[in-house]
Amino acid sequence: MTIEQTQVGGKVVLHVAGRMDAETAVQFEQHCDSCIAEGSTNLIVDLCDLTYVSSMGLRSFVTIAKKLRDKGGELRICRLTGLVRQVFELTRLDKVFPLHDSVESALMEG
Amino acid sequence: MTLVAKAESLGPATEFVRKGAREANLPEPRVGELELLIEEIFINVTRYSYPEGAPGVVTITCSIPAPGELAVEVGDQGIEFDPLTAIPPDLTLDLMQRPIGGLGILLLKSFAKLVTYRREQGWNRLKFTISANP
Repeated sequence: MTIEQTQVGGKVVLHVAGRMDAETAVQFEQHCDSCIAEGSTNLIVDLCDLTYVSSMGLRSFVTIAKKLRDKGGELRICRLTGLVRQVFELTRLDKVFPLHDSVESALMEG
Repeated sequence: MTLVAKAESLGPATEFVRKGAREANLPEPRVGELELLIEEIFINVTRYSYPEGAPGVVTITCSIPAPGELAVEVGDQGIEFDPLTAIPPDLTLDLMQRPIGGLGILLLKSFAKLVTYRREQGWNRLKFTISANP
């Protein structure tokens, strides 16, 4: 899994590619924790190149989203595809997170 | 194949079922689902079946019950646990009420064509089937 971080107008966008599984989910969580420690309250996560997510990855999304909510912010998820979209839909996490079809639309929301 | 029930064994376990998927001619989207299922079961065994600090073994067997179908059986000698009787998670809860985990068994039941569990002479044996045509 690779995580590429960009800063767009004061907002952090994380482009997460590859596989988020039992081994790599912790890497994502730690990266988000660092962003939160540096003052980010909204994180935009672009998943267009994420090909796989297991329940361990879902745990990380829920954990980070709760931390952001506690700080008055949110985790915005963009561009789910394939198996990853299926997993979010089956677990109804697509109803829990604000989902966006593009990074631009996530950036425009406040 | 027999492996030590620890997180590091997930890679060889995944490779083993991938080989089974190739032999069963499963298409690529089904292979991704298969990898997901083996991870969910494997992680459950390593985290919950064996007491901490006392890892046991996990066995994985692949068979092809019908053309385009792969059956995978995962066995462990840990604490007796039938995941099929676990209380399903409440998917209507909002973010702050959602528990952190508990979704793995739901994914298993959703993606597998058939899932069975039996306790046999001290072994948990969880078997699932994945089909080229879900």
